Amino acid sequence: MPRPGFVLDVDRSTPPILFHHGEGFRFEKLPPGRSRVIYPAEPIDPIKNPDGAIRDALENPIGDSEPLRALLKPGMKLTIAFDDISLPLPPMKSPDIRQRVIEAVLELAAAAGVDDVMLIAALALHRRMTENELRHAVGDRVYDAFAPHGLLVNHDAEDPDNLLYIGSTDQGEEVEINKRAAESDLLIYVNINLVSMDGGWKSTATGLSSYRSLRHHHNPKTMRHSKSFMDQHRSELHSSNWRMGKVLRDSGVKVFQIETTMNNNVFGTEGPMSVLQKREWEWTLKDRITAMGMKAALDRMPARSKRSIFQNWQAPHAMTSVQAGEVEAVHKITTENVYKQHLVSVEGQTDILTMGLPYISPYNVNSIMNPILVACLGLGYFFNLYRGKPPVREGGVVIMSHPTPWEFHPVHHPSYIDFFDQVLTVTHDPVRMEAEFEKSFAEDEWYRHLYRTSYAYHGVHPFYMWYWCSHALQHVGQVIIVGGDVRAVHRLGFKAASTLQDALEMASDVVGRDATITHLHNPPVLMADVS
Amino acid sequence: MKALRFERNIPRFAAAAIAGRLSSGSGAKVGPLKLRSIDAPTLPGPGWTEILPRLTGICGSDLATIDGHSSRYFEPIVSFPFVPGHEIVADLLAPIDNVPAGRVVVEPVLGCVTRGINPVCAACQRGDLGNCERITFGNIEPGLQSGFCCDTGGGWSTSMIAHSSQLHSVPEHWSDEAAVMVEPTACAVHGALSANVAEGEVVVVLGAGALGLLTIAALRRFAPPCTIVAVAKHPHQTQLATKFGADHVIDPGHIARPIRRITGSLAIGDGEIIRLTGGADHVIDCVGNADSISEALTVVRPKGRITLVGMPGHVHVDLTGLWQREIQLAGAYAYGTETLPDGSRRRTFDLAFELVEADDLGQLVSATYPLDRYEDAISHAATAGGRGAVRIAFDLRNEKERNRA
Amino acid sequence: MSPMPITRKQAIDLTKRLPINKSVKGFSRAGSRATRMVRAILTTPPVPNGVEKVSKEKNIGANYDTDWARSYPARFARVVVLNALMKPIVDLIATPTIVGTDRLADIDGPVIFAANHHSHADTPLMMTAIPEPWRNRLFIGAAADYWFANRITSPLSALLIGAIPVERQKVSRKAIDQSLELLKEGWSMLIFPEGARSSDGWARPFTSGTAFLSSHTGAPVVPVYLRGTNKVLPKGRNFPRPNPTFVVFGAPMYALEGEDSKTFAARIQDAVAALADETSSDWWQAQLRAATKATPAIEGPALGAWRRSWSQGTNRRDARRKWPNV
Repeated sequence: MPRPGFVLDVDRSTPPILFHHGEGFRFEKLPPGRSRVIYPAEPIDPIKNPDGAIRDALENPIGDSEPLRALLKPGMKLTIAFDDISLPLPPMKSPDIRQRVIEAVLELAAAAGVDDVMLIAALALHRRMTENELRHAVGDRVYDAFAPHGLLVNHDAEDPDNLLYIGSTDQGEEVEINKRAAESDLLIYVNINLVSMDGGWKSTATGLSSYRSLRHHHNPKTMRHSKSFMDQHRSELHSSNWRMGKVLRDSGVKVFQIETTMNNNVFGTEGPMSVLQKREWEWTLKDRITAMGMKAALDRMPARSKRSIFQNWQAPHAMTSVQAGEVEAVHKITTENVYKQHLVSVEGQTDILTMGLPYISPYNVNSIMNPILVACLGLGYFFNLYRGKPPVREGGVVIMSHPTPWEFHPVHHPSYIDFFDQVLTVTHDPVRMEAEFEKSFAEDEWYRHLYRTSYAYHGVHPFYMWYWCSHALQHVGQVIIVGGDVRAVHRLGFKAASTLQDALEMASDVVGRDATITHLHNPPVLMADVS
Repeated sequence: MKALRFERNIPRFAAAAIAGRLSSGSGAKVGPLKLRSIDAPTLPGPGWTEILPRLTGICGSDLATIDGHSSRYFEPIVSFPFVPGHEIVADLLAPIDNVPAGRVVVEPVLGCVTRGINPVCAACQRGDLGNCERITFGNIEPGLQSGFCCDTGGGWSTSMIAHSSQLHSVPEHWSDEAAVMVEPTACAVHGALSANVAEGEVVVVLGAGALGLLTIAALRRFAPPCTIVAVAKHPHQTQLATKFGADHVIDPGHIARPIRRITGSLAIGDGEIIRLTGGADHVIDCVGNADSISEALTVVRPKGRITLVGMPGHVHVDLTGLWQREIQLAGAYAYGTETLPDGSRRRTFDLAFELVEADDLGQLVSATYPLDRYEDAISHAATAGGRGAVRIAFDLRNEKERNRA
Repeated sequence: MSPMPITRKQAIDLTKRLPINKSVKGFSRAGSRATRMVRAILTTPPVPNGVEKVSKEKNIGANYDTDWARSYPARFARVVVLNALMKPIVDLIATPTIVGTDRLADIDGPVIFAANHHSHADTPLMMTAIPEPWRNRLFIGAAADYWFANRITSPLSALLIGAIPVERQKVSRKAIDQSLELLKEGWSMLIFPEGARSSDGWARPFTSGTAFLSSHTGAPVVPVYLRGTNKVLPKGRNFPRPNPTFVVFGAPMYALEGEDSKTFAARIQDAVAALADETSSDWWQAQLRAATKATPAIEGPALGAWRRSWSQGTNRRDARRKWPNV
């Protein structure tokens, strides 16, 4: 019976807590009596017969929708869009959920005699997926059947011939999405809801759209009014996407949404990595030896080898629910299921929030985590994994642990390098960045060329990474990174400390000597429900 | 008088070349540069006078000579043994021709007039003294400038001689440091103006030593409004570059990326840039080695211009890009007379005086040394960037030999 | 009457010493004690006259007891031979492409692998292609009259390929019972439902034993399509020739409520046919054809022998992708 998440109050007998530190980890002793650690829930049992559950969901839709079988007619134009490489994290063991769902959908499509089918990776302004990544997501059978004929493609948000302007919302937000998807008789979206930010109308309105649409909600103002963007009812990001969804629905775009949730079994319950998922006082002797051994080995390895080892990890997380049908009705149930796994009740806020950042974010799968992504993971994603109030008080301090290397992947993140060298040297204020620099990066010819033909994130993407931190930067008084490259940390505008103790010492200037501390024991994913 | 003299000693030359390769500035210790007590030079004819140097700068070309890097090109146009030092502010004890007594700055180029050649060559007629065709002829030994000629002496001594046409009076209120910066400023002004920058163009200045910084200042003041991109490594260089008017300051080593963004061009290379397809309109190379010229070729646009102000020597560069993209590579040496964008003609030194006053360029003299500590002085000059310095000079005002009659 | 030249005793001695007579009674005199003992053990004395010969029950063929081959030492030996010897050889000669193993991800417990049968190369190929955890707990129903023909081949078949004898000519209760028992104990089964190797590359009709075993044990049937093995070791040849092969695993199949074995067997055959279609074109085309019942039958067209071989045809997926993946 999987145990729920809980909050541990640190006392003198608490063992050192495991902090993730990029491709490696550290053991930190939190000051007793004024620290607490939020532990995630144990992984919920996955569905025993996922293929059966999927077929069931397609037959029994949620909300105002017919079963999929009835929606498929011979001679129709069908488009299947699916989430890209940024989900799930880490990549899951074969067969991927998307493969199962897409094969089930295609079986029904074949039975109904539909032959005009196209599959699109809904990546918005993320990088294109490589052949291997697509094969992993949809499986060899589907890949070999569709890709050679050009029927399995990456969405191209800079292709003027393949974008259709649908209309604008009542607040002037332009809605422009992939033309093939808009003009299909039916658009099926295959979603993985890893965190409560994903899914709903965001899948289509963001995943298949272009810069012209995205700039209306991917901006500092929207992010500052999303408290947090993981909580769709208090998120301006989601309100905007829902408005855009309404425009899509009213214009006749028919979407059959299939959403799935996963448990947070990221490191497995057996095997050497499972020790990272266990609570420290429940480690057996074998676990302690494994952990010490891994740490010793990792500390001595060159960065490249470590990255290779971690990036090749395929997590055993598995599907816990699947629902299909009308977008909003489906998403309501999905969100409940996501919360079941992630929410941990927390009382009150503290002065300091600490977090150990792992090696992976949505934007560096099979890649390098550069300093901008470190900031985004910590101050964007981890900080915003709350409902109600942030676990740290306004004006408090955030301390993150990550090596923050001054290293960039030249193929995946070319615009990030320029952003780091030319924008962050001028300003750290997201509003000023948006006004002075965003346009030139978004419309740069070379970045556009690399986005369309190579495997690069769009020119404007580093700005979005920084905007993701807007709420945190406004809320928090100081940000300290422990164990990071000092120059890189300073370029980000944060303070650098070599150990957690030094960081707490530096923080005492802002929050005083007896500050209270919350540590997020994340990953596996948890969401703090703060009252 | 006391002087540092560069003597013709072949084994020492070789030793200097080797030492210079191992560490910059160490050629001073083992090379043919020696501190001597010698007689002052004799006046070769009318118009010549004795001057007593007060401050003399150490220039990049001097360092190259001492470390044995300078090319054999110079052999016929220098005469041994010579006293180096051509960035000079000195005392003129008695007036001569139109020059009153007092402090003077020396314009070191030895053209037709100084050599007593009449009629003067076409270049000297035009005022382009740096292009004089008679630098090995006339009353004095071959030598392109004072500081490379055995007959004139040079700035690294307590006494030398100069022709009246070489002397420029220093305003009363100026410091000696400001005056000693006039000659290098003139080089920079000439280099900046010879590039012929048009309005709105993008100019990249490679090198942020004294010459690079002065070039930025010269561009900002005398060239039409343009975007100046400085390439600087050390913090003090970055600050000064921005102060003198650079619009962007970028790190050396990866200059293609920021220049790509500034010029809005595309690039060749997937992620790692090999070279730009477009690029900057001008590159002014104030370094002058194989790496800087190659780098300039990757970031200048087709039909763009690379102006080589730093002295290169014998370099090995792949010029295919130069041919394929129709790039101009031009040298800029010394000074003479400039044509400003508005069409007027003025002497470079006059423009230099103006710029030194306007931007307070005397602040660039970071340290001075007496002649006795010449090894330290040269070592400091050779490693100036890393040590937070820009220009190092010899201070001769307190030398005993100077104040004797 | 003249007297005899030698005495009777001398004559007997002489006779004894004649070479031809030496061997008749020679055992007691030739060789050391050890050799004599060995010879005594090995000789079977003749049945005395007048005694009726008792015929012993034959211990080979369908009655061969293979339980010893499923003990730990034997299994260990088989695993070693499989991975250290068989796999490299199979990889070298048959260069197999194994696809579809992701369809097996959800199965818990033993599996009946039902594959089409072209040649003897099918067995080692399947044994090295079936993934863990079924690979190491696998038994094969093999033809009794071929694989368990004599005292040499019987133990070898049992040990090296984990075979149990199955009679071809008549339905033997024994084989079925043994299979049921092993399946219930958690052993997976490899079976070629056609019963015999096809002679021209097209499949023979699938028999219903497989379907019966699945419905009575609840173990799923995983259809497997093999292609190319008929060129590796064709029927009639004894020496293998290198040729690329395909092993395509299908989705697990369970007997439907109230379905009889014959119908289930037909379904399994259709599944293998669909896998064949998937291999020669692609999965989507195979699905579309399956929906309109246009899947090409693996039994082949009703044509004469050479035309059937001819229409086996080229397969564009045989061309190996030589370019390394990004």
